[in-house]
Amino acid sequence: NAYPLGSLTKKQPTVLVICGPDQNGSIGLVCARHLRMFEYEPTIYHPKRSSHSLHQDFTVQCEKMDIPFLSYLPTEVQLINDAYNLVIDAMMGPEADCANIKEPYSGILVTLKQIKIPIASVDVPSGWDVEERSQDGINPKVLISLTAPKKCATSFTGKHFLAGRFLPYDIQKKYELNLPDFPGTDCLVEL
Amino acid sequence: MDKMNHSSAEAEAETIEPLRYLSKGEAAAIETELLRDYRFGQQQLIEIWGQACALAITKAYPLGSLTKKQPTVLVICGPDQNGSIGLVCARHLRMFEYEPTIYHPKRSSHSLHQDFTVQCEKMDIPFLSYLPTEVQLINDAYNLVIDAMMGPEADCANIKEPYSGILVTLKQIKIPIASVDVPSGWDVEERSQDGINPKVLISLTAPKKCATSFTGKHFLAGRFLPYDIQKKYELNLPDFPGTDCLVEL
Repeated sequence: NAYPLGSLTKKQPTVLVICGPDQNGSIGLVCARHLRMFEYEPTIYHPKRSSHSLHQDFTVQCEKMDIPFLSYLPTEVQLINDAYNLVIDAMMGPEADCANIKEPYSGILVTLKQIKIPIASVDVPSGWDVEERSQDGINPKVLISLTAPKKCATSFTGKHFLAGRFLPYDIQKKYELNLPDFPGTDCLVEL
Repeated sequence: MDKMNHSSAEAEAETIEPLRYLSKGEAAAIETELLRDYRFGQQQLIEIWGQACALAITKAYPLGSLTKKQPTVLVICGPDQNGSIGLVCARHLRMFEYEPTIYHPKRSSHSLHQDFTVQCEKMDIPFLSYLPTEVQLINDAYNLVIDAMMGPEADCANIKEPYSGILVTLKQIKIPIASVDVPSGWDVEERSQDGINPKVLISLTAPKKCATSFTGKHFLAGRFLPYDIQKKYELNLPDFPGTDCLVEL
């Protein structure tokens, strides 16, 4: 939706998906797999893999779709700018402790602050506090909030999607989510 | 459906191979590979299929096209995987603002199946305690029936109650039936002579052999099958439009 195949400027529809060790990373893996079905060419950088069996299953599913896994992320930013059309940040979710970011993620975030190609963050921009925008954090062009947006997104100024259309009405009422209408049978809506 | 065509406008002759229709063994083998080798989870697959089914229903029967006062749909779920897919389908239809009602006479004790049941109950989807034998009641109350009773693994020569009774009722209703994967009561490789006659068939992953003689609206639903499996079984799946997870065959 944000980056249709035809809009990508590089010769190949390449996308770099950076996956963290927890749920946000698993979501990134599934996202990459579906992008492959949509004929994008995702590459995954997944430095620290959870031993959780579900996470491993998602990893195998991607490997079996012939999605390349990088063994390291180039620190030479221009290499990333040249190779990919965009980066999907699936490193940290709302449960992450952004005051205590360990390697390799702290290093990856430094790199992401320097790249020129757009970043699309899954649920929460990695490194941001879930309730408050980070002063010197990464600056994604696209934010894909899952289920409902988080507080930090109130100060997000880029393209903002709400993704995932499954939340039972009782939960929506209980938390007074006031979700917008989804168009037709779409499972996402642009906020 | 013959998918062979030769485009003379192409610089190289491009032959589109015909879509493969699976035998019972092939369908089972593919699913086993997906679970065992590709490490897909059962819950994951059922969710993918159920959502795709719901989308197929919205394409075949858009909200605005339904003639009854309310957008009611009766979903009849069997005890096995086909039934679970029906449950997920019903849940997604509810999100799409249809009003599904579920008839789920025999519930598997399988915990995954029970989870799907709870998900539906918590969406306030009504569950019927019995199916009226008075066919007119069904014709009046619902716009269509979704048949999610039996999948390709079912033994159609040996259909027990309550499903044999339900099939008798379904042969008499006037409202359309949409079947999930295989019309219940049909042999997976061969159309049944006196079986139900659905208007819509939603094949999951790849169509089964019995669908070669299906003359209604036929969808292929579920866009997740790894390319290696597609090649291995020479499925020759058609292109899906845009980012749709289903395609009309």
